[in-house]
Amino acid sequence: MSTLTPSTTATGDRPRGPRSAPPRPKLRRSSPRRRRRWFGALAVAIAVVWAFPVYWMLNSSFLPFNRIRSPEPTFFPVGGTVAAYERVFESNFLSALRVSATVTLITVAAALLFAFLAALALSRFRFRGRRSFLLAVLIIQMIPAEGLFISQFKLLEGWQLLNSVVGLSLLYVAAVVPFTIWMLRGFVNGVPRELEEAALVDGCSRVQAFFRITLPLLAPGLVASGVYAFLQAWNEFTLALVVMTRPDNMTLPLWLKTFTEANRASDWAGIMAGSVVIAIPVMIFFLFVQHRMTSGLVSGAVKG
Amino acid sequence: MPPSPTSSASPAGPVPAGAPSAGAGAPAGGGKPRRRREGLLPYVLLVPAVLVLAAALGYPLVRQAVMSFQEYGLAQQFGQPPQWVGLDNYVELVTDSYLWTVIVRSVVFCLANAAITMVLGVALAVLMTLTGTGPRLTLQIGLLLAWAMPHLASLTVWQWLFEAQYGVINWVLVRAGFEQFAGHSWLIDQLSFFVVATVIVVWMSVPFVAFAVYAGLTQVPGELHEAAAIDGASAWQRFRAITMPLVRPVLLIVGLLQIIWDLKVFTQIFVLQDAGGVTAETNLIGTYIYRLGLGEGEFGMAAAASWFMLLLTVTLSLYYVRVLVREEEL
Amino acid sequence: MNRARLLTAGLAAAALALSACGGDGDDSTEPAAGGTPEPADIRLWINGPDTPQSMRDWLVAEFEEQNPGSTLTIEEQQWEGLVDRLTTSLGSESETPDVVEVGNTQAPTFTTVGAFSDITDLLPDLGGDDLLQGFVEAGSADGKTYAVPLYAGSAYVFYRKDLFAASGIEIPTTMQEFVDAAVKLKQDNADVPNFSGFWLPGQDWRDGAAFLWDAGGEFAVEEDGEWVGSLSSPESQAGLELVQRLFAEASGAPKDANEADGHVPFCAGEVGMALRPGWLRGSIEDPAIGCPDMMANVGVFALPGSDGEPAPVLLGGSNIAVSATSQNQELARNLVELMLSDEFQSQYAENGLTPAKTSLAAGLGTDEFAAATVEAVTNAKLTPAAAGWASVEGSRILEDLFVAIANGGDVQQLAEDADAAIADQLG
Repeated sequence: MSTLTPSTTATGDRPRGPRSAPPRPKLRRSSPRRRRRWFGALAVAIAVVWAFPVYWMLNSSFLPFNRIRSPEPTFFPVGGTVAAYERVFESNFLSALRVSATVTLITVAAALLFAFLAALALSRFRFRGRRSFLLAVLIIQMIPAEGLFISQFKLLEGWQLLNSVVGLSLLYVAAVVPFTIWMLRGFVNGVPRELEEAALVDGCSRVQAFFRITLPLLAPGLVASGVYAFLQAWNEFTLALVVMTRPDNMTLPLWLKTFTEANRASDWAGIMAGSVVIAIPVMIFFLFVQHRMTSGLVSGAVKG
Repeated sequence: MPPSPTSSASPAGPVPAGAPSAGAGAPAGGGKPRRRREGLLPYVLLVPAVLVLAAALGYPLVRQAVMSFQEYGLAQQFGQPPQWVGLDNYVELVTDSYLWTVIVRSVVFCLANAAITMVLGVALAVLMTLTGTGPRLTLQIGLLLAWAMPHLASLTVWQWLFEAQYGVINWVLVRAGFEQFAGHSWLIDQLSFFVVATVIVVWMSVPFVAFAVYAGLTQVPGELHEAAAIDGASAWQRFRAITMPLVRPVLLIVGLLQIIWDLKVFTQIFVLQDAGGVTAETNLIGTYIYRLGLGEGEFGMAAAASWFMLLLTVTLSLYYVRVLVREEEL
Repeated sequence: MNRARLLTAGLAAAALALSACGGDGDDSTEPAAGGTPEPADIRLWINGPDTPQSMRDWLVAEFEEQNPGSTLTIEEQQWEGLVDRLTTSLGSESETPDVVEVGNTQAPTFTTVGAFSDITDLLPDLGGDDLLQGFVEAGSADGKTYAVPLYAGSAYVFYRKDLFAASGIEIPTTMQEFVDAAVKLKQDNADVPNFSGFWLPGQDWRDGAAFLWDAGGEFAVEEDGEWVGSLSSPESQAGLELVQRLFAEASGAPKDANEADGHVPFCAGEVGMALRPGWLRGSIEDPAIGCPDMMANVGVFALPGSDGEPAPVLLGGSNIAVSATSQNQELARNLVELMLSDEFQSQYAENGLTPAKTSLAAGLGTDEFAAATVEAVTNAKLTPAAAGWASVEGSRILEDLFVAIANGGDVQQLAEDADAAIADQLG
């Protein structure tokens, strides 16, 4: 990434104090505003391009299969059908949703908590083994996962955690925690310690200082890591395949796979409809947390 | 860790001193880093993460290491005692000249993909900071939709789009006057195959980079920009001088992860090979190991390949890790 | 002893089954007391939709009636990912299913490694020589049988009657006539984009195998106990040359695509003939998937060989086996017996699949689909019985070979390279 390596000669100074939110100077109004509009248009255009395959999934979910793949593509599901969605809800979708939701919630919560504690230790303390730990966590990321699942199956078998939400969650937490530690550590480092100290001077307890100052500033990092952990657990397939072998314990990706048929005509409309349904909770989760992504220092959580 | 702009007020300077030294109670002193013993607290904080990693990965990794020195196949999986073969698995692996072809191919593919992903991801993250809430949220949702799309669906849709005879891309190209794309196979040619693979991999990876970097960018205080702008710094100067150093830790770790992931890329190649193309010309390390090991039930071999690949990744990212370590003053 | 045995015996071909029952009644693996085994919940893994719901219901009801106190749980699996799941689950006492269905080409992978229980002693009861022998062989290793056939199915030719009439073509009765018809159809329909007189996508070596075998060629042969690739033998060369001619002059399918979703080009009117498994009919008839209107113009026949007999096409189907780690061996064996009973097997025939017992093939009916099904199976062949054959398929040597042939490569050279690659995998 040499293209991204900036010079270390920073001219800017980082303010000690909180943002004072000055009124925008009037002279900066017209030209930046027009530029902003152009950027806005560009952003929307890119969003459209990026989401096109998603649109194609949505489109296909309303079409009978003989119109999904045909010499003349159907760009709009005019005269489409919701039959695929009926098939989706007739199958045991709800059971899979329950399993996936539980596994995902456990994974996100545990991964964020464990990684956050570790990030605090790594960023605010110096102790023997710190460097090794950071390197170890980095190297864990590099382990090829394809070969591990058989050993992980044996592991869970020994603990009688096969076909259990806890067992699968354990593997998922371990899969996302290394990345989350590194990510959150960067964000904890980014929180000026002076802020906490200022709060202490103002009479906050250490716990209060943490909740009132540090945590809000970490929100973007927590959200970004949380979305990552959520999607990993929500979409993972191979581990779920070997760990959750009973139909009652299917996760959503396993359930989705039941619509394919290697030896026959797969129910592609059903797969697309199922995928749409699977993606919806992710969107809800994101819309629920997205405003925290932009907060940080701007949110005004910091009071002088 | 923020890449320490030269200022002494740098928020968490190169050497983070013990700030919240809970029990000790003594308020941490100003910006001057101090080495102090923190007792057990940092270790206690690490315990949950260490436990979960040790539990889920410890035994499998050890077993993997042991197996790599054994003749361990399906029969052993079902109870027969494995045979020790020393380094045979490794020797067989590295003496296969095809492996080296695959490695070179994988490294090129990985670097190209990681670079494109990072450039696009950072560009989109910056774009998010430059637009109003509406367009920003639109872009974020667009990216998130792509990220959240179940892989079975996204890989299927991409396959459909690039299909030779019923693919939308060929259909559009033909309508646009490029008659030669009627029935054109995108996968049968090696280079074209990897272009398609790159499109898909980049499409899938950029959202993560954009979100992570954007989250990093929002930690950059707006005052810095305003102050610099008043001092007459151009947008590009401000970006290089203020923004980049401050988001550098995030960029470094995300970039490193991107290299790691793009070297391990598996599913996309596997699915595309099934759809078309010539397998021997398009194998990357991931698919090669899969076909070598798991496809044939040779787990000892696969374990050796995994360890070999880990070594390779570490070697390849050594420079990068060192930069990171230097930044960190670990 | 137990009812299952007697019932099965009564229904099976009388003489064979009765003698087998007599000889086998007090087998050592049965509980000594002659009582029924300990009741338990038996888990059966069935793959894909080939075994319809009505058959599953019948199986559960019948099994639970014959084994009072026990229950049967059927868990449907997907073909994709099945090997991963079997590899892990079969080795686990707590999680293993008791009885599993595996693809006939997957069976050898598991029989040789001790994943399945030895059921050689059960063989006479299950149908003995009446069973499809190719499948029994696929499920046997070192003289012991671990997996028995469940059902079979082989590809036959679907053709467009209207296009045949327009081109003045009769149903071909020899390979030569078939090739001529395929080429002529493509010429006569040159105005249709991507038209195939005979639809053969580049990766489809499984259907292309018929032309190799018909010419007397083989993928691999055993020489002095060693398996070696034989694609460069003169006979194989002739077969592969024919495949290349079909790719060039008869097929309009993509030169590197796989054979999935064959009904799509068929329904788009781009196909004159296609060699597909019987279930293609179901896809065409399904209004949501295919084109039921076209069915009136669809006919079928078994691919003719050079000698006028049906050509050797690749035999497809499933085996069934008892997991070696199952804690309910006796009940599991009862279930296998029930699934090979004439009553259950006849239901496969009614659903258009070739039953595991040749004596029940008549149950397929008498229409042209049934006739083609029966004919196609008579000469069908399996892939080489080499222990390492799964690796040949796993490394996609044959897909690559056929794509290269479709792309107009030098057949002789390609075949020699493929032989070397195959030898590498089998050696």
